[in-house]
Amino acid sequence: MGNIKQDLMPVIRDLSDFDQHSGNRLERWVFNYRPLFMLLMTLVTLVLGYMAVTRLEIRPSFEKMIPQSQPYIQNFLNNRQSLRGLGNSVRVVVENTQGDIFDPEYLEVLKQVNDQLFLTDGVDRAWMKSLWSPGVRWTEVTEEGFQGGPVMPDTYKGTPEDLEQLRRNISRAGIVGSLVASDFKSSMLIVPLLDKASATGQAIDYQQFSRMLEEQLRKKIEFAGDSTAHQSGAEGNGPYKIRVIGFAKLMADLIDGLVQVMMFFGLAVFTSLLIIYLYTRCWRSTFLVVGCSLIAVIWQLGIVAWLGYAIDPYSVLVPFLIFAIGVSHSAQKMNGIMQDIARGTHKWIAARYTFRRLFIAGVTALLADAVGFAVLMLIDIPVIQDLAITASIGVAVLIFTSLLLMPVALSYVGVGSKAAERALKIDRQSAGDHGFGRLWSLLDRFTTRKWATGAVLVATLLGAGGYVISLQLQIGDLDSGAPELRADSRYNRDNAYITSHYALSSDLFAVMVKTPPEGCLNYQTLVLADRLAWELQQYPGVQATSSLVNAVRQITAGTYEGNPKLNSIQRNQNVLNYAAQQASVNSPELFNTDCSLMPVIAYLKDHKAETLDAVVAIASKFAQENSTEDRQFLLAAGSAGIEAATNIVVREANRSMLLYVYAAVTIFCLITFRSWRATVVALLPLVLTSILCEALMVGMGIGVKVATLPVIALGVGIGVDYALYLLSVQLSFQRQGLSLADAYRKAVSFTGRVVGLVGITLAAGVVCWAWSPIKFQADMGILLTFMFLWNMLGALILIPALSHFLLRETGSVSCRDSEEAKETQKPGKECGGFNKKQLPQAM
Amino acid sequence: MDSLKNTLLAILCTACGLVPCAAQASSYVDVLDMPAKPTALATRSPLLGVTRAGERMVAVGQRGHILYSDDAGKHWVQAQVPVSSDLNAVDFPTPQQGWAVGNDGVVLHSSDAGATWSKQLDGRQIGDLVVKYYSALAQAQPDNESWPGFVSEGERLVEEGADKPFLDVWFADDKLGYAVGVFNLILRTEDGGQNWTPFQDRTDNPQGFHLNAIASTGDALYIAGEQGLLLKWDAALQRFNALQTPYQGSFFGVIGKPGDVMAFGLRGNVVRSTDGGQQWRDVPSNTQVSITAAVINAQGQYEFFSQAGDALIDQAGAANLQPLAQQPLSPVAGAAIAPDGSLVVVGNRGAQTLPAQ
Repeated sequence: MGNIKQDLMPVIRDLSDFDQHSGNRLERWVFNYRPLFMLLMTLVTLVLGYMAVTRLEIRPSFEKMIPQSQPYIQNFLNNRQSLRGLGNSVRVVVENTQGDIFDPEYLEVLKQVNDQLFLTDGVDRAWMKSLWSPGVRWTEVTEEGFQGGPVMPDTYKGTPEDLEQLRRNISRAGIVGSLVASDFKSSMLIVPLLDKASATGQAIDYQQFSRMLEEQLRKKIEFAGDSTAHQSGAEGNGPYKIRVIGFAKLMADLIDGLVQVMMFFGLAVFTSLLIIYLYTRCWRSTFLVVGCSLIAVIWQLGIVAWLGYAIDPYSVLVPFLIFAIGVSHSAQKMNGIMQDIARGTHKWIAARYTFRRLFIAGVTALLADAVGFAVLMLIDIPVIQDLAITASIGVAVLIFTSLLLMPVALSYVGVGSKAAERALKIDRQSAGDHGFGRLWSLLDRFTTRKWATGAVLVATLLGAGGYVISLQLQIGDLDSGAPELRADSRYNRDNAYITSHYALSSDLFAVMVKTPPEGCLNYQTLVLADRLAWELQQYPGVQATSSLVNAVRQITAGTYEGNPKLNSIQRNQNVLNYAAQQASVNSPELFNTDCSLMPVIAYLKDHKAETLDAVVAIASKFAQENSTEDRQFLLAAGSAGIEAATNIVVREANRSMLLYVYAAVTIFCLITFRSWRATVVALLPLVLTSILCEALMVGMGIGVKVATLPVIALGVGIGVDYALYLLSVQLSFQRQGLSLADAYRKAVSFTGRVVGLVGITLAAGVVCWAWSPIKFQADMGILLTFMFLWNMLGALILIPALSHFLLRETGSVSCRDSEEAKETQKPGKECGGFNKKQLPQAM
Repeated sequence: MDSLKNTLLAILCTACGLVPCAAQASSYVDVLDMPAKPTALATRSPLLGVTRAGERMVAVGQRGHILYSDDAGKHWVQAQVPVSSDLNAVDFPTPQQGWAVGNDGVVLHSSDAGATWSKQLDGRQIGDLVVKYYSALAQAQPDNESWPGFVSEGERLVEEGADKPFLDVWFADDKLGYAVGVFNLILRTEDGGQNWTPFQDRTDNPQGFHLNAIASTGDALYIAGEQGLLLKWDAALQRFNALQTPYQGSFFGVIGKPGDVMAFGLRGNVVRSTDGGQQWRDVPSNTQVSITAAVINAQGQYEFFSQAGDALIDQAGAANLQPLAQQPLSPVAGAAIAPDGSLVVVGNRGAQTLPAQ
């Protein structure tokens, strides 16, 4: 044990015996100018820390969550100016718990809410709708023709007559179910938001908007100013309740959840401290390991802030991962240094030795992690790309902090002598068959035929079973409401209330009908739009449809004195023109100003992938059959339209991403191992984990969506580390002529503990997300924990078992260059591409 | 080589010219040429008229939907219809022979009790029909100054295409029948719809008001129309004469039995005459909503239905209409009594059956 390096790196107690000019250039720069290096590191940390503190923002944006170049999204973005009603809007419901809406006090409260929202910066005032909006009107046919007016009487004073008038107007306007609840106990304000606030030209700060909703409306009205009750998260028990749904509110709630998640970072740090201390029993080095990893996080956040990225609910996972990866790498460094110090080497030299041994291996492992992140760049969703970039930055930072700063810092502080002795003792034990070593030696058995066959058989069964289950894996959101949040969150309770008391769902799927100017009034266009709506309605997942056609039919019947038999699309252009002109007054969102674009909107019963797929299939078939140059049917807008497009991208990305991540990892393994057999041995455990992870998602009711997409890539990218550690050592021993069983035993005693440590620290970093108020982070936490741990087990059990079948002969295929390699010490020339000098002595 | 390429190109172009290669799929098919699509939604989608055909109920509605039911509206079957125009009314003078009319000037005929339908006429032919008919009359009677007016009316119909809806249809038997519609559109057939004769010159409707409904009271034939228009068939003069009514708003329908006729319409207005239309009096309905359908129930009482889903009954001895115990609750466009005495109403939420009162 450890005999390989002993000849090349002798124990040197005295600094003067050490040749300062040994080692590569990087080592000499870093270690011979230690004070300068530390100063530089401190400066960089201070600068980036300052950046992180002053510039880092929490800012999720609607645009960034959608796949920008997907054709449906392109259609949507190209025409979004014309889609007034379909943009980013918030619905606020004011409920009267002790009566109905025909109550002067309620209406006064509603007016306050209306005015407050109307005056909020970022609200698209012209299109805001509520009982108090003058644009919400009723019309009626009389003997004299049309009559109409605002639903809220102009002269409203709160008298019983006014209320009676209001009741009649609401019924005539047909807004029950849309602006007024079907039980008349609440009414809705539809508040469209601008992308950029008109006053400042800045993107809307959802958090600020939400704070306004919470402080100005909910706290004042629902909780009568009682902050404690408000913050408890329970619903108020006053006479009025404010219920809010919409993308902006959801985002703000996610940000609030994020703040809570950030608390978990403290927990992750604490857990890591505990794990490292249990491993080393040395506070000095424990704090150093965790400190270096925290510095990595500070750098990462600083650079990210400097480059102008913001933290969103997705990229918040990066600091956790960087911290966990940092801890596992730093722990390895510390372990090596500790053992050298225990043997009597001076701490400065011990640090240099460890640097020599582990720097290339560390960079290789970090590159493998980076592959996992980099593959995410291929997903055409900006939040995921941001995650990929910020995580790659984090990995790059780790090269400086965990691989350079950590050994240098250790060369100053050293380790406790007791801890050092203990490290050596455990190391010796694990070589023998005592204590800890017994557990590891159990693993050796997997190199024997019986155990190997058993393990491979069990893995095959698990894989097959998992695969069968994973076939049921769904794309997209599987629950109603906002799946980002937990079912019992205030947002989802509000959403459930609104869905059950108002007729139309909030899952809108819109097809845009694009024509030359004035074309939306064309008889044929209207008939086709009507046919499209009808095709969509055939699918049971569509609750209702709405478009200009509905308004035209209704207004046409109106011009014929409300005769239901004329609720029709007339061929006469004058009739159609008149209908559209009327429609533009009452519901201007039905078509754009020059009548070149009208949406056909389907209200869906939910936004499950199945529903969206069916609707997309119907709409795109219709579009294909009926689009001409002058009359295009373009998918898709509306929340469900965007989600459908996202699902398409996610499905595609899920497949291609797996392909790419495995391709990248395969190439990586081929380069490292120079053996396809070893590559197969390294990859099969990962494949099993990926399959089981999908099965687990099915079991837990988690669909593949933007949030879960990164999990498998990260699992594979980081999971391959284990194989890199274990297999490279094993191969190198085999190539020295050891039998598979011996080589594996040595590899396990070399790296087994580190594989264990890495698995546990990574899992510890993410497991606390399981308690996140954000549902998808909880899902991610569970899935990542599963992948990190299962990959570890897979590596420890399946690598020997598969080696038995695939790599038993490796030793005999001896490497011709091996002797030469030993002499020249040039990396790359060595047998198997793995430099023995870099071998982790007891990682 | 180049010349070969050009030849090939030329051949390809010719082929494309002869058989339109592209855009074939996206050519627009008119509602009059597109058969109604079978759909499970038909029973829940807007239906506009319902009638009894022997033991069967037949209902018509939007998008060319025609449904029939042999169990008083509990289960409906969708008929085969060659058009997908909105259909407004249906009438079966015999259990087997029936006619349905609707938008785009369409007239459909069924001779198998409503299971399959064929098109007898559509709006693309009506203009020609009118022009030809009145041009012949104008030629035959050059002194009559009214014919050129009807001819130019017909020419306008030709110009505007199939845009005139029929609103109601009534057949006396399997031969004689009328279809009426907007702007005084009225056609008559005496051969079961093989030939249709323009009848605009035989209505006392100088302002060309819409003809909303046509119905027989057993002893007389009435047409109800826009702005208080009420016409009664005068067999002697072979024309529809205007009656004086107390209400100047529109009537959506007329109903009655020998010696008793009621007309109903906009904003809850109902009027009654027991002297063949000479004297009319208001029947207060206590509703402000338009009354759009009426039936005579098995007991011989009138029931009225509104666009707000009210059902009102005219009970002997009561001056006002009284609300029925069972209300349809959704807008009603048509109603009929089923063979078992139950009431079938249709409207924008499809068909529903209410038990006999």
